[in-house]
Amino acid sequence: MGRVTEYYHAQSLEDAFAKARELGPAAAYLGGGIELVLRRNAEITTLIDLSQCGLNYIRSDPSGVEIGSQTTLAKLSRSADVQRFAGGSLAYWAGHIAHNNVRDMITVGGVIGRNQPWNDVVPHLIALGARVQLFGETEQSMLLADYIEAKRSGMIIKSVLLPQENAGGTGFLWRFTRTEQDISTLHFSALVATDAGIVTSASLVFAGRPGHAALYPQLSAEIVGKALSHDSFSKLAELAPSVVEVGSDLRATEEYRRELVHAAIVYWEEHMTGVAQ
Amino acid sequence: MITKIVINNVERAFEIEPDEVLLDVLRREGYLEVKGSCHTGDCGACTILLDGRPVASCLTLAAKADGHAVTTVRGIGDQAHPSVLQEAFVKNGAVQCGYCIPGAIASAKALLDENLNPTEEDIRLAMDSNYCRCTGYEQQVEAVLDAAEKLREAAKDEETKK
Repeated sequence: MGRVTEYYHAQSLEDAFAKARELGPAAAYLGGGIELVLRRNAEITTLIDLSQCGLNYIRSDPSGVEIGSQTTLAKLSRSADVQRFAGGSLAYWAGHIAHNNVRDMITVGGVIGRNQPWNDVVPHLIALGARVQLFGETEQSMLLADYIEAKRSGMIIKSVLLPQENAGGTGFLWRFTRTEQDISTLHFSALVATDAGIVTSASLVFAGRPGHAALYPQLSAEIVGKALSHDSFSKLAELAPSVVEVGSDLRATEEYRRELVHAAIVYWEEHMTGVAQ
Repeated sequence: MITKIVINNVERAFEIEPDEVLLDVLRREGYLEVKGSCHTGDCGACTILLDGRPVASCLTLAAKADGHAVTTVRGIGDQAHPSVLQEAFVKNGAVQCGYCIPGAIASAKALLDENLNPTEEDIRLAMDSNYCRCTGYEQQVEAVLDAAEKLREAAKDEETKK
């Protein structure tokens, strides 16, 4: 922040949206606020607090698990509904990412709104097929993967829906870091559904490449219809390093990240088959 | 702007800047038991309880605490009336230079408030933000296990009295 001159406690979503529309890029919706403190944006002079807008909830209904955007990672990790979803991968990681004293601050809406390349929550939500519910002049629902590609500036992230049709799948997250609490040098998330040992659907996401999270349908197509076998995974592990777009930065070279892509698939195989390679 | 925060069970009102962080406000207002160190949310020294949950006060906008309850280490117990947890830290040699202790105690308190049977792994996870440059981690884990045991015994005694 440069010089923030106003902290606005919005009383409703309508109130927050009207304030943001009035101020344009000088206003920012507030999630946990961590990014706004750490990476000050000189353009922002008004912070719009959404904590009184009723967005701190997790509820389950036949359409899936809906997570209000003000829900923190700590709350996600303790939710029985989230723990039941896709083997509990999101709940587990929400309780292990970052530090204990920020897991009660980081909000689902905040991580999506900022979508930093090193973020581990957004790629996993994309793999789980999450939809984002947006509030503005009209309400919109869209796949989180599409939202990340084309953000709707000014709209409020109201909630995230984990669709019920993905609840029975198996979620997987692998993050390569220097220490447990470090940001990812490479992140791999997946959701896979199987029937009688055959993969019926798969969603593969890589992040920390060092770019943002991206789905890889070409890799999904490679594994769908195949048996959960070493042969299937080893073919995927051979292909993936040439498909996933990776780059070099201060943390790792492109070549190193390609090796990590291979390692990610090997770990995924171990998770899915229980057999270490 | 004026913000009202209940600090250690006492309601206080402060004039704050909209972008001030809670750590700076607390220390300015005399709550010097809250320690600052990294100012980037990495070290855990500044951890306080906000509505009972541990947060890094160096990253928490003070305005976000408006209308909420803050507990510092002195709200958990002081020298005249130490809590079971604080006594366990002393008894187990978990306090060396002492700088990280206000944050460590806050994190441990949040854990024990919701889980009186923590495993070592639970404790390490619940205190993973709290860096101790004297490296007294083992003693801190032992202290929390010790406090948990005493709190369980006290809860059992209470139950028996009923």
